[in-house]
Amino acid sequence: MKISGSNTLTAPVDQVWGAMLDPAVLARCLPGCESLTTTGPDEYAMRVTAGVAAIKGTYDGQVAITDKDEPQSLRMKASGSGAPGTIDAVVDVRLAPHDGGGTVLSYDADATVGGTIGGVGQRMLAGVTRKMAGEFFTALDNDIATGGAVAVEPELAMAGAPAAQAPTPGVGAVYAGRAPAPGGFDLGDAKGFVLGTVLGGALVAIGVLLGSRLGRRR
Amino acid sequence: MTTRQFGAPVQRREDPRLLTGGGRYLDDLGHTAYEAAFVRSPYAHARILEIDTDAAVDVDGVIAIYTHEDLPGAVGEPLPVLIPHPALTAARTGYPLAKGEVNHVGEAVVMVVATNRYVAEDAVDRIVVRYEQLPPVVGIENAREAAHLVHEDAPGNVSAHLVQEVGDVTSAMAGAPHTLTLELDIERSACMPMEGKGVYARWNSDDESLRVYSSTQTSTGVRACVAAKLDLPLAKVECIAPDVGGGFGVKIMHPWPEEVLVPWASRNLDHDVKWTEDRREHFISSAHERGQLQEVTVGFDDEGRMLALDVRFWHDNGAYTPYGIIVPIITATQLLGPYKPGSYRVEFFSLYTNTVLVTPYRGAGRPQGCFAMERTMDAIAAHLGIDRAEVRSRNFIQPDEMPYDHGLMFQDGRPLKYDSGDFPASLAKLKELVGWDDFADYRAQAEAEGRKVGLGIGCYVEGTGVGPYEGGHIQIETNGRVNVATGLTTQGQGHQTSLAQIVADELGVPIENVHVTTGDTRRMAYAVGTFASRAAVMSGNAVALAAKVVRAKALRIAADALEVSPEDLEIEDGVISVKGAPGSSIDLGTIAVMSNPLRYAFDEAAKKATQFAGTFDVEKPPIGDDDEPGLEGQDFYSPTQATFANGMHAAIVETDPVTAEIRILRYCVVHDCGNMINPLIVEGQVHGGVAQGVGGALYERMVYDESGQLLNASFMDFLMPYASEVPFIETDHLETPSPLNPLGIKGAGEAGTIPVTAVIASAIEDAEGFPITSMPISPPELWALRRAHARKDAS
Repeated sequence: MKISGSNTLTAPVDQVWGAMLDPAVLARCLPGCESLTTTGPDEYAMRVTAGVAAIKGTYDGQVAITDKDEPQSLRMKASGSGAPGTIDAVVDVRLAPHDGGGTVLSYDADATVGGTIGGVGQRMLAGVTRKMAGEFFTALDNDIATGGAVAVEPELAMAGAPAAQAPTPGVGAVYAGRAPAPGGFDLGDAKGFVLGTVLGGALVAIGVLLGSRLGRRR
Repeated sequence: MTTRQFGAPVQRREDPRLLTGGGRYLDDLGHTAYEAAFVRSPYAHARILEIDTDAAVDVDGVIAIYTHEDLPGAVGEPLPVLIPHPALTAARTGYPLAKGEVNHVGEAVVMVVATNRYVAEDAVDRIVVRYEQLPPVVGIENAREAAHLVHEDAPGNVSAHLVQEVGDVTSAMAGAPHTLTLELDIERSACMPMEGKGVYARWNSDDESLRVYSSTQTSTGVRACVAAKLDLPLAKVECIAPDVGGGFGVKIMHPWPEEVLVPWASRNLDHDVKWTEDRREHFISSAHERGQLQEVTVGFDDEGRMLALDVRFWHDNGAYTPYGIIVPIITATQLLGPYKPGSYRVEFFSLYTNTVLVTPYRGAGRPQGCFAMERTMDAIAAHLGIDRAEVRSRNFIQPDEMPYDHGLMFQDGRPLKYDSGDFPASLAKLKELVGWDDFADYRAQAEAEGRKVGLGIGCYVEGTGVGPYEGGHIQIETNGRVNVATGLTTQGQGHQTSLAQIVADELGVPIENVHVTTGDTRRMAYAVGTFASRAAVMSGNAVALAAKVVRAKALRIAADALEVSPEDLEIEDGVISVKGAPGSSIDLGTIAVMSNPLRYAFDEAAKKATQFAGTFDVEKPPIGDDDEPGLEGQDFYSPTQATFANGMHAAIVETDPVTAEIRILRYCVVHDCGNMINPLIVEGQVHGGVAQGVGGALYERMVYDESGQLLNASFMDFLMPYASEVPFIETDHLETPSPLNPLGIKGAGEAGTIPVTAVIASAIEDAEGFPITSMPISPPELWALRRAHARKDAS
């Protein structure tokens, strides 16, 4: 499945670049992200709760950012698997200054979606993914604008290492996401079911994978 | 005289029960059973690195979790190659649960047994399998190219390569005034019965016996496989096909992994266990069919008569070959249809791909063969500017050439020898039915209205009723009830009606007294199965033979009692009487009493057979030397070869000049299945077959992406025709009896499906004026073809 799209962010290119490489920001902004752990330079393990329609579940995935050409482009490779299926994605992300200020972020994702979600949810995936990507970028933009006002401090996995003492996130740092994101993605008349998303880090971080929680009808 | 039942349009006797919810399908059984669910591969091709079941073990209600490592002995061995063939040089089958490697999305990896399906599914969700992905082989071109292999030890991805040749094609082709080559492509589809597969097993530890219910087309086949896999004496295993909600071929494949695993788990757990396939499982872990690439070269004379036919095709057999190469063999042989090819060479490669395996689906290789042959006929007609029906007619085998031996080996290992048929008569009927000769006027009128219409035609011959045999057992009870048993199974064919008609006639009893049991190894342990349009031919003749045995016995007993010769007796309405002396009579129930000398009376009627009733000759033993107790008997029907049914279809389609929407305006069928037991049932079979054919021609396809994911694995995205897409079907019948069996019948089950793709392609080609070489065809594809041809014409 190939998905392309672009979004315009109000933050300038440099800030968007920085935010996308900041695991704390990613964890906050990724739809459905429960946790994100750095496993190496520009490599993360993450847990995302996502779904398309009734096919939902928790995915464990890995994300690696490569081919960085600061601040213009990078490539994200992501893979994840969970009960509803599997995802493998390569996402090329490009950043460019927007004429009126801000940043145009465009992406080309090539994702292989397997398992139940691949066979049954296929025709919803591109649309859902695009929407989730849009939500992610909006969240990213807001996060930059508020300076991470609602930032969550990283908890270091290593016992006894006070979070505040970690000047830069190291391997093993765990960032809590905001996963059940209440009211995060209301699809209008959607019947309060959980719709999908992405494991997506940068693009949605990544290609986005499958789904996060949508607002429930009250 | 009792009204003759054979040939009468008797309404299906099973329908009131089935239509009012009285059917008992697999999932209706086993209320106390544990239920199974499976972890299935999400990848088309991968190595299994690790299976972590820790999180699933603690799910409340989970009884057992099995991986391949847990399977003992034969249960853990590869599933059988059901139909070996010398050309199948690289046969590969899967394991009941994957061992180290998966070869298609949907292959079972872990089995979970739990108190119910919900719990089992929850546990499945918690099992984590780590895979190392391997490059998948998807699509015939990739399989043929063989840059990657499905099975490392199957070079070129070839499971089988077979060549058959009759005559000298090379020189005949070289000498032919005209030659044409066609490259053709036909997509995958699948049976899609309303009820998926299902297995319910009850192990009885008290007497160490196993009862297996399976939604199958062969209960004897499943029984034998289960007994072998579980190392049980055959006498300790019984298998029953309950009501089966459609098969169409996919359920003749056996044993499915679940048919081994569920009985094994039942014994292992000493508890009944059930598994009911869900729709997604059916899409990705049952079987598909049809996918082929074909290359046809034909040499012919100025009159359009074939001199040489050279066919090569590549058959996608999916990940494994448990059903052998039956489908491509049928394509290779049945391709010839009603025609004489002059000389014929056919070569096929059966290729592995990392997709769901391929086993017969209604038509079983014939729709592809018919497509190749009929596209060729239309191409010859177009090349020479001769009427398409005329070209066909010039190539027909003539009635006085029957039996006609093509010199090829058919799917049953026996000669491809047509037994009967009158192709010119069938064609004449079809042309009359569809108004072939008036179509030019119709087209002109439509064109004047700005409409685009086309007329298509397709002819086929179908080998039906293949052996080796089927049996019939008939027992008449003391109340006159006639119990008929045959071993093959029923999944919608109406055997409760058609087989009862045959027996009612042979025995001279009212059809209401006749009760038919199928697919139950307790009642008939010897059988093959329901496939290849064989049930009416095989079991129809078997029950007729069995009825003759029972009739002879009844007459013999009655002749003794009435002190006349058996030849002087007749049976009508269940009563045996002396011809011309109706007062002297005895009913079959009483004969049943007399046939079984008793010591103990169990009811009023039985008293007559007890030892002090004075009803016997004290000079003779109660049971004669060559006799057996009971008014029952059995016989088997085993023909030397298949019967060959045939038919011809024509359709008028309209294609929208703007949107390329394709509509079937008329659909006409002329059908010859020999003597019809029940024309109503034959008609129903033809209608159902055409409906499936329409699906295959215009809607159904299996959309795999390059990684081997089936993208349309649900009824949201896999299109099947509704009533709104199936045209009104006009039928006419020709009955040329088969000389091969006493009833003169030929099979009818698959007939409707076979030529539909060819007919619709022919009609669209006629409407559009450019060749249609790839089916099924959708409006967007037709639209694209129009643009491509318009560009070509412009340049």
